[in-house]
Amino acid sequence: MKRYLAAFAVVASCATLGAQSRSNGHPDLSGTWLFSIDLPPIALKKTTNGAATVKTIDASGRRPAAENVAGALPSAPAPLYKPEFRAKVKDLIDHESKTDPVFYCDRPGIPRIGPPRRIIQLPNEFVFLYEDISGDPYRIIPVGGQHKKDGNPSYYGDSVARWDGNTLVVDVVNFVDSTWFGEDGYFHSDAMHVTERFWRSGANLVYQATVDDPKVLASPWTMAPRVVKPSTDGLEESPKCTESDAKLLVNNDHHGQR
Amino acid sequence: MRRVLLGAVMCIAASLPVLAHHSTTAEFDVQHRTTVSGTLTKVDWVNPHIVVFIEAMGAAGAGKVAWKFESNPPAWFRRVGVSRADFAKAIGQKVTVEGNRAKDGSLYGYLLKITYADGNALELVIPGADR
Repeated sequence: MKRYLAAFAVVASCATLGAQSRSNGHPDLSGTWLFSIDLPPIALKKTTNGAATVKTIDASGRRPAAENVAGALPSAPAPLYKPEFRAKVKDLIDHESKTDPVFYCDRPGIPRIGPPRRIIQLPNEFVFLYEDISGDPYRIIPVGGQHKKDGNPSYYGDSVARWDGNTLVVDVVNFVDSTWFGEDGYFHSDAMHVTERFWRSGANLVYQATVDDPKVLASPWTMAPRVVKPSTDGLEESPKCTESDAKLLVNNDHHGQR
Repeated sequence: MRRVLLGAVMCIAASLPVLAHHSTTAEFDVQHRTTVSGTLTKVDWVNPHIVVFIEAMGAAGAGKVAWKFESNPPAWFRRVGVSRADFAKAIGQKVTVEGNRAKDGSLYGYLLKITYADGNALELVIPGADR
């Protein structure tokens, strides 16, 4: 246990700005990565004793990469559902403001939560730490292991990792079927299988995921890659989530007002 | 001139709080700003939106009424350098809040600006729109 804690402390202390070193022959993915929240570019103007300052946040890690990213798989803007499920997806998106589970403080699941805020890279496993409005989940992911035979379905599933060249590939199965894997009504079944890919692009971390669900999708869907910058902004416990808006909704406007 | 300025403010107000949460336009009248002055009584630093509580005078004969204004998430405020203490320091003091009121007419709104008794203020703005 002491040895484990010591190794944890060493790795944690090195996990700062994600220097481009290698760990056990593999790229070093450890570090603290930019917090991104899906907000429009609103700034905070603070006026103190007559002097105003304006500050905004960098939400780039939450959005598709603006340019081509080396190593990325071909992506599509939206998943293709089997014909018998397309009406259901349309109905969910038409009523998204009232039906999206995350609007009721539910957990976003994988891959909707996006890349972790903090990656701790150990020789035989990864620890992913997240900050989210619904809470702050963690994942402990063995490298080279097998999926559990008797695990219960969960929001963040059962993960095992392997290296594919310089890319960490995380295979995730055994999900509950109540999450959406994208905000536009992207429901799934208990057969969802997510493949996440992480690699370095210079100082940045690249994240891309492929979702397959043979029960509801016509074909696997690969999202656009996201490029996440290193950060010096440490993690902080998220306050509790208390939904209070649903009763005030008077129409079905999409939250993006589309 | 005053009408032009009012129009500019309305334009900013109309385009501000489009959040990654329930639809803003389904809940709030983003075309108009409502101003409420009163005593700050409580600050809830909760997800998905912080909430401030204001005790203000209601319409004639209504006596004191309790308003609630939500705003951006705690994580957002943290990243723009604002903590709960920046609001809570004014508990018990007079403040003026500007925001978009709930469409259902309840005493609820989306906080866009809070001005403290000493004139200091916090305001949600579109980058560049205030210059």
